[in-house]
Amino acid sequence: MRKPHRYHSLKKLKIRQDWSRWSLYSIAKLQRPNLGRTYFQQKWDAKAASRAYHGEVIREKKWKRLFKRSIPAVVPMDHKYLARHDGSEQAAGRGAGADRNEEQKDPQMTPYMQMTYWPIERRLDTAIFRSLFASSVRQARQFVVHGMVKVNGKKVPYPGYLLNPGDMFQVEPEAVMFATGAPKTRSAVARRISAEKKAARGETRTNEPKDQEPSIAELAAKEKRAEPTHTELKTSMQEIMTNVDEVLTTELKAKDKQKFREFRLSVKKAIAKWKAASPETLSTLDAQFSFLKEQLAAKTGTAAPSGDAEPLFSEEDQAKLKKAFDKLKEKAEYDAQWNKRDANKPYLTPWRPRDYMSAFAFIPRYLEVNQNICAAVYLRHPVARPGLAEVPTPFSYETGQLAFNWYLRRR
Amino acid sequence: MAARRDEEKRAQDAKEEDASLPPETTEDLRPFPMNRHFRSQPVLSEQLREAIYNRVAKDGATVALASVEFGVSNERVGAVVRLKQLEKEWVAQGKTMALPYSKAVLNMLPQTPYIDPSLPENRGKRPIPHESINDLIVHPATRQQLFVPVAESRQFTRVDAGKAFQNDLLPADDRIPHPELVQAERELAAGLSHEERLRLAEKRFAAIQEKKKAEEAQIQAELASLKTVPKRRWDFVFQDVSVEHAGKDGRGLKGVGWRYGFPHEDRKKGQVKIPTKIEA
Repeated sequence: MRKPHRYHSLKKLKIRQDWSRWSLYSIAKLQRPNLGRTYFQQKWDAKAASRAYHGEVIREKKWKRLFKRSIPAVVPMDHKYLARHDGSEQAAGRGAGADRNEEQKDPQMTPYMQMTYWPIERRLDTAIFRSLFASSVRQARQFVVHGMVKVNGKKVPYPGYLLNPGDMFQVEPEAVMFATGAPKTRSAVARRISAEKKAARGETRTNEPKDQEPSIAELAAKEKRAEPTHTELKTSMQEIMTNVDEVLTTELKAKDKQKFREFRLSVKKAIAKWKAASPETLSTLDAQFSFLKEQLAAKTGTAAPSGDAEPLFSEEDQAKLKKAFDKLKEKAEYDAQWNKRDANKPYLTPWRPRDYMSAFAFIPRYLEVNQNICAAVYLRHPVARPGLAEVPTPFSYETGQLAFNWYLRRR
Repeated sequence: MAARRDEEKRAQDAKEEDASLPPETTEDLRPFPMNRHFRSQPVLSEQLREAIYNRVAKDGATVALASVEFGVSNERVGAVVRLKQLEKEWVAQGKTMALPYSKAVLNMLPQTPYIDPSLPENRGKRPIPHESINDLIVHPATRQQLFVPVAESRQFTRVDAGKAFQNDLLPADDRIPHPELVQAERELAAGLSHEERLRLAEKRFAAIQEKKKAEEAQIQAELASLKTVPKRRWDFVFQDVSVEHAGKDGRGLKGVGWRYGFPHEDRKKGQVKIPTKIEA
């Protein structure tokens, strides 16, 4: 179905199945249905609002045929209770005037009416969206149509394929990374600014006298500059700084952290006064850091220079810090291998999740997802259980009830 | 269950010390503020998935056993093993996995941690159950309320209640995914000795294995009855059919081929061609 005009209208808020800021806003603005009008009006509004979210790509007639008035539900059982009672205890003594036990708590209500749209959750495109492999149902649908999705190892080009319990579906990892990653293209404003900057840079370059030979004085100055420039100093110090920051975020004991914090503070100060920085300060800081590292690298108490320097860390702490550094190294290697900058990718690299994704991140229990290979298994149909309905719907219970009543076709 | 998970989470956060955010509340785990009946429920952590896979694929535990041990439903155990198997194959083939994506998504979701019993700090701790493993499906026949007059002197049990709803409806004890737990508990309540219970459990296990073997044999026999002719691109598979399958009126469900007076409707308008089932 074609995307309707004003898909996200700010005048008439509609919640859509996508991870956009518009949907987030509409979810935040959603209110309980206005119950002061005729029953037909209430039902109509509930149906309109909920159908804009559930199966918006399906035609109304198709959905009407898909609708089922029987809703799957389960009740969790306690095997110990089942083993020790045969069920007759529930009625025991009732005829003799025994009333029901007041201490017994009533089980929670089973929200059947939030399950009106459960058949739609069976659809392949919706299941892909629910397993967080696509940023909207329309995108999931496109993936299916474009042949990027396999069900039980076979390519399935039908977004309307109704998954059966036990079906495994796979989406191309590249497609998933594209769908869930931050987009590569920048906003129009950012693009304009960067274009202006580029133009300005080009101008200065053309204005520069190009073929002039460097004067002797300049050459002499260059010869002298064997020691690093201030900019170089600053970047190298910043590098050290980030290293320390990363170490601090991993698990460490409080004492080690204090030491590192002091060290970081000194680096910070040095950066603040970077214009006055001389190679000596850097070398000392660097020396400090490498000393710390050496201390860590030294295998518990063998190579540590115990005579001249006071032992900074206990053996236990050393092991911990070593672990932290190893973790750091591993992470750096991992980033270099799996999440490197690559201009050929259709998404922003290094990969990061797109904006607003975390607000929509949940995986319903009827799916079991393996994110590494971008595959998921549809375990069973979504069910209602006491206090919980598994169909993810943003609407209130009343809306669900009204929509269900609309499709009962007794209006 | 949730309390222990929170506790575990808090301990993890305390380890990281300057985790700036407090642990999430139930309110935070509700992605839709209007819907009080939907929660973002925890997913299995990577370590837990690995542990389940190892238990089933390496140690050879049955799915039901792993399900009880980890507090994960039967279907989920099967799915985890299947997906992990595929993941290992990918690693062996050197395929590129979506690791940055996986990391980011798992960070966004609440997780059920794995309590590794081999670690010294976890001694005596039980695993955190992921979900209820004994879910009883609400049978359509039980949806209506029944008023059955019963004599006061009669012991009206779950079995009788099932029969009152529908003649062949089994009691809950037999319809839950882990009836063996009920059986074991019953034996415990009956005061049987450990050896006796062990013997009974082994007997049950043997019976299950026998049944499984028979099913497997039947599948093999069915496959053997097919005649396969391998060709360059496709294999031709021939299956024995009988003309009689079409039945007296020629419209039997098992009948094959075109039959006189029975029109094919597959070219008609509105005929859905989407498959309803895809074999694994």
